[in-house]
Amino acid sequence: MKATKQKRAVVIPCSGIGKALGSVSREATYEVVENLRKGVTDTTCLALIVSGDEETLQLVKNNRCIAVDGCPLQCAAKNVKLAGGDLAASFRVVDTLRENRHLKPKSVTFLDHDGQELANLLAEQVAEKVDELLRK
Amino acid sequence: MVDLPEKKVGVISCSGEGCVEGTISRVATRLVLEKVRPEETVTICLPLFLAGGGEERAFAKYYPTITVDGCDKLCAKVGTERYSGKPAGSIVVTDLTKSPGCFRVRSPRKLDSKSLALAEKVAERIALEVDEVLEHRR
Amino acid sequence: MTEYLQTVFDKFELRVRRGYHYSEDGFWASVENARVKVGVTDYLQRTSGDVAFVDLVRRGSTVERQAEFGVLETAKTTVSLLSPISGTIEEVNGRLVEKPELVNSDPYGEGWLVTLVPRNLEDDLKALMGADGYFELMLNKLETDHRKLESK
Repeated sequence: MKATKQKRAVVIPCSGIGKALGSVSREATYEVVENLRKGVTDTTCLALIVSGDEETLQLVKNNRCIAVDGCPLQCAAKNVKLAGGDLAASFRVVDTLRENRHLKPKSVTFLDHDGQELANLLAEQVAEKVDELLRK
Repeated sequence: MVDLPEKKVGVISCSGEGCVEGTISRVATRLVLEKVRPEETVTICLPLFLAGGGEERAFAKYYPTITVDGCDKLCAKVGTERYSGKPAGSIVVTDLTKSPGCFRVRSPRKLDSKSLALAEKVAERIALEVDEVLEHRR
Repeated sequence: MTEYLQTVFDKFELRVRRGYHYSEDGFWASVENARVKVGVTDYLQRTSGDVAFVDLVRRGSTVERQAEFGVLETAKTTVSLLSPISGTIEEVNGRLVEKPELVNSDPYGEGWLVTLVPRNLEDDLKALMGADGYFELMLNKLETDHRKLESK
């Protein structure tokens, strides 16, 4: 019997709690999953992947995954790969920041205007990647 | 010889994207760090801690920790026990939302006024735990 | 003797490399074969945040001590890079164009910024501190200026 075609992309943010870029990664992910590509994307907690939650591991192994990391440490990308997930694409908030030099997100707990704008821009990039992955 | 700071507590929170309680955990922890107990607390980034982040693990090894979990998967508590030791305190947000008078909220992304109020309550709970831990360390 | 003096503030380890010379602004100078290599201290990179851009003056430019030789842009702020030494820029760390995060991950090593041919080395070094002096300064700054190193 043929394997079921993968029809969802799982977007996994790092959600780093110590930096604004972690908050941006989280917000960008929600924007993709709840709005831009609702219905064809899912998200899950990075902590569940790292701690080896069986249900979560099956999710990342059976679907194309997109990691959205705040900073160059790339906790999401590295740990999805380590867990044996199908890491199809990887984004870093700092790269979107480099493309939009005028934005300076400062606030961590609640995103300020620059942080929200950065999240929206990144979400668009992730959404395009979702389309590309689901076409394959 | 590395100097170790005194009277600090590490707060290890989940940020679980799957449920609003994860957002509440995150916001509550940030409120404690920024406003409620800024001098006494340090946040430990959970995924970095679980994955072996040096600074995270080193801090949790020598200093007391309080875990804040959104749900009964207890990622923060279980992870801390595995890599550092039993946390000095542990809070589970879903335990609080089931309490009479607390609200069940829906959107995991943005907190409305009720869920913000809940986050503040959780922050107060964390602060009490912090005070208790530091009191025992005197 | 260890290569670094180090302390821990909150959960962050902060290091000062022995054998280097330091300005109060948080820049180091390392003398190697009549050339001076310059970079930022661990304390400066930590308080500035994740580096997104490093813009440096061109090779051949002359800089005065404490004059700007570039800027460092992080996620949250822009930092003027002030030369601890006067001289002519001989080399610029080209790796920082693609990998500015080297300034954060290895500020005393691969995250170096420029090398200079010094013009007034003996006098300029007298104006700088050794590792012990900068370490003391850093500890004072941590106590008075920074209640927290984590972002707010």
